[in-house]
Amino acid sequence: MSEPILKINKVSKHFGGNIAVSDVTFAVEKNRIFGLIGPNGAGKTTLFNCMTGFVPITSGEVIFNNRKINNLRPDAVCRIGMVRTWQRVKPLSSLSVLDNVMVGAFAITGSAGAARKIAVEKLAQVGLADYSAKLAGSLSIGLKKKLELARVLATRPEMLLLDEICGGLNHTETASILQLIRDVREEGTTILFIEHDMKAVTSICERIVVLNSGVKLAEGTPAEITSNPEVIAAYLGGGFDA
Amino acid sequence: MKQALIIALFAAFTALLPLFIGEENPYIIGIMISVLMMAALSSAWNIIGGFAGQFSFGHAAYFGAGAYTTLILIYSFELNPLIGAAAGMVVAALIALITGSIVFGLRGHYFALASIAVAEIIRLSVLNFEFTGGAQGILLANVTLWGLDLNSKTPFYYGMLLLLVVTLTVTEYLRKSKTGYYLQAIREDQDAASSLGINLALYKNRALLISALLTSVAGSLYALYIRFIDTSAVLDLRLSIEIILTAIIGGVGTLWGPVLGALLLVPLAEALRSNMIGDALVKLGLVSETSSVGIFLNDNLAHAHVLVYGIITVLCILYLPKGILGLFRRVK
Amino acid sequence: MLFLQALVSGILSGGVYALAGIGMSLVFGVMNISNFAHGDLMMLGMYLAYFAFTLLHIDPYLALLLIIPVSFLFGFILEKVFIHRVIDHPHQNQILLTIGLGLIMSNTALLAFTSDPKILTTTYSSSAINTASGLSISVPLLLSFVITSVITAVLYLFLAKSSTGMALRATSQNREAAQLMGINVAKMSAIAFGIGTALAATAGALIAPTYYIHPLAGHSFLLKSFTICVLGGLGSVVGAGVGGIIIGVVESMAATYISTDWKDVVVFVLFLTVLLFRPQGLFGKKGGQ
Repeated sequence: MSEPILKINKVSKHFGGNIAVSDVTFAVEKNRIFGLIGPNGAGKTTLFNCMTGFVPITSGEVIFNNRKINNLRPDAVCRIGMVRTWQRVKPLSSLSVLDNVMVGAFAITGSAGAARKIAVEKLAQVGLADYSAKLAGSLSIGLKKKLELARVLATRPEMLLLDEICGGLNHTETASILQLIRDVREEGTTILFIEHDMKAVTSICERIVVLNSGVKLAEGTPAEITSNPEVIAAYLGGGFDA
Repeated sequence: MKQALIIALFAAFTALLPLFIGEENPYIIGIMISVLMMAALSSAWNIIGGFAGQFSFGHAAYFGAGAYTTLILIYSFELNPLIGAAAGMVVAALIALITGSIVFGLRGHYFALASIAVAEIIRLSVLNFEFTGGAQGILLANVTLWGLDLNSKTPFYYGMLLLLVVTLTVTEYLRKSKTGYYLQAIREDQDAASSLGINLALYKNRALLISALLTSVAGSLYALYIRFIDTSAVLDLRLSIEIILTAIIGGVGTLWGPVLGALLLVPLAEALRSNMIGDALVKLGLVSETSSVGIFLNDNLAHAHVLVYGIITVLCILYLPKGILGLFRRVK
Repeated sequence: MLFLQALVSGILSGGVYALAGIGMSLVFGVMNISNFAHGDLMMLGMYLAYFAFTLLHIDPYLALLLIIPVSFLFGFILEKVFIHRVIDHPHQNQILLTIGLGLIMSNTALLAFTSDPKILTTTYSSSAINTASGLSISVPLLLSFVITSVITAVLYLFLAKSSTGMALRATSQNREAAQLMGINVAKMSAIAFGIGTALAATAGALIAPTYYIHPLAGHSFLLKSFTICVLGGLGSVVGAGVGGIIIGVVESMAATYISTDWKDVVVFVLFLTVLLFRPQGLFGKKGGQ
């Protein structure tokens, strides 16, 4: 077992009287593709928000590369190498596709020339090279998701948090994004993956945590998870395509 | 590079203009100085308002900081005007940093509101203090700098032009740099920006600081040029709104929008203020000077320029929210 | 004694501020718009009271029966013609639009009524009740406080009990959800803006007997109304009510213990202090991030 890059230790998040995440603990090993699944409202996105500094944690710790990062601002979290995408994509609409990715690249360089070079490279990698000059706001949803991916890749993250990157995409698009994620992992990036699409998760993830109503329900390999009766009862009742 | 060339051509052309108009036409030169000043002010505002998307409704505070600091230091301590202008920049920077540190942790309407509150606090304080001349303002008989005749308009024409060119160059440099990209990212989506490693407060403060410094220089130049200032001339909310409106009409967030806006609005305001439009209607025979309409226009049109600004603002927001240049900006 | 006098005057004038603040807060809550024409709408209320008094010989307080429906209608139309078109725009466009409308109102008033201040002198304009303990209570301030309280109570009942009031509150809570539940949010916006305008005009009419009536008189009330709203939590009607009283007292204390010239500065400094330490307001839940 390799050393964990990320440890979530008894993390809870309360909004007033609502408990969104309760006492969740798990660890992600370096260079893995790790899945975080659960029905709507299970607290997955809230957990992402907690990990990346967008909402303060009520209790518990988030440890990244042996460093406690509970109180870091979102921008600082990005600069230490953990970067997220958004379930509802957030393109910088009136900037060009190339400029969007350059903004990401500026996290690792101060020079516009270098940023442009990285951006061109990442756009080619996700297959958006032909769209460089288009306004980000004018892209289709599938291309916007690819743009999000290119943008976070341009920050050279050690760890990527992908929030339903395949949501709303058709089979071909999903397949191409999944292949991209595999490639990114080959380059040494660790991936934590929130997904609704069970087929996508089980096909790509090596390990999965299941959340239900803010509580960790199970953890294991895809095979273990899909055969776990509790998980099936809570989430998979309707079959794998839920 | 292309834009830098256009800025240089613009500067050369504008620098040569007075040679054709001539010293004997001080009225025209005066209006051109006003155009250059409003273009510089609006371009400076554009850095924080247009690029970072943080609408400051209190830029009169920075203008006033430059104007008042300069004249007070000359008037009370007989310091060199350049020292006065430098001190004005320091004061403007302090105001900017205080405003920024209060509100840049917040989102939405707060910056707009707080920028007005800060500007109003400064205006009322200047009005109430004695060393600022209070409601009377400050009148300066004479200013000299290195034997240059500061009673003529020419030095201020070139002063304002230089400031405008510097402001445009700074804007263009920022736009091509990391800071410029970050400011635009903040304008487009603050959550996305901060998730990509952008320290929101730092970059907003930086943009506000640059904008405030340039605005304060315009205030210093204005004060030396007119040699009389009071709160209604240099610290009024109306000035802040005129600055924004100029940028809006030309095109917010574009390099040349504010310049275009100033070229349109300043002469229009001047024409209304000097009753030129009323006179023209009379000359054209559309309105008789002695008719009731003629008398009404003659009495009131001079006061109507703010009303016209109001109407233009409303029309612009409803029908042309991206300004005139926004019409031409095509999706590539 | 001085303190008690300042406190009583502050609370009484705070009532009118509360009314103006509630109007602005309601608009903010339902429409998520900062209305920069609010002060100018107050100014219109002042002139309405003035002309009702001088032309129609109606007492300014009685004239409210006329001013409230007229200004409600004016606000309703203003929303239908202009404001609703920017409801999905970035907030700076909304601010600029309302600034533009405000400039049109104040400068039209300037052309129509000139910049000479008008004074509305009623028989009781400067009369006061003197208590045995030496306290002096201005009659017009007391009357306007009583009227303010009645209007606030009526508004509160309207929002709490009537179906329109509940729809307004639902829209304020969550516009999208309200729409999904079949509430006509466009109509609610117009009603909210109408009520906001009516409250502003009422506040203007109430201070008319004790204030110089001037085309630009609304401007100083604009920032005060914002301060009240932020103090009470943007969008919170109850908060704005309490915020108004607080501002009235702060202003009166500042005038008594510092100087009349500095009272507005004190109010704006308070505004920035609240933004710095408690941006969600003293009572608000939303805001901040």
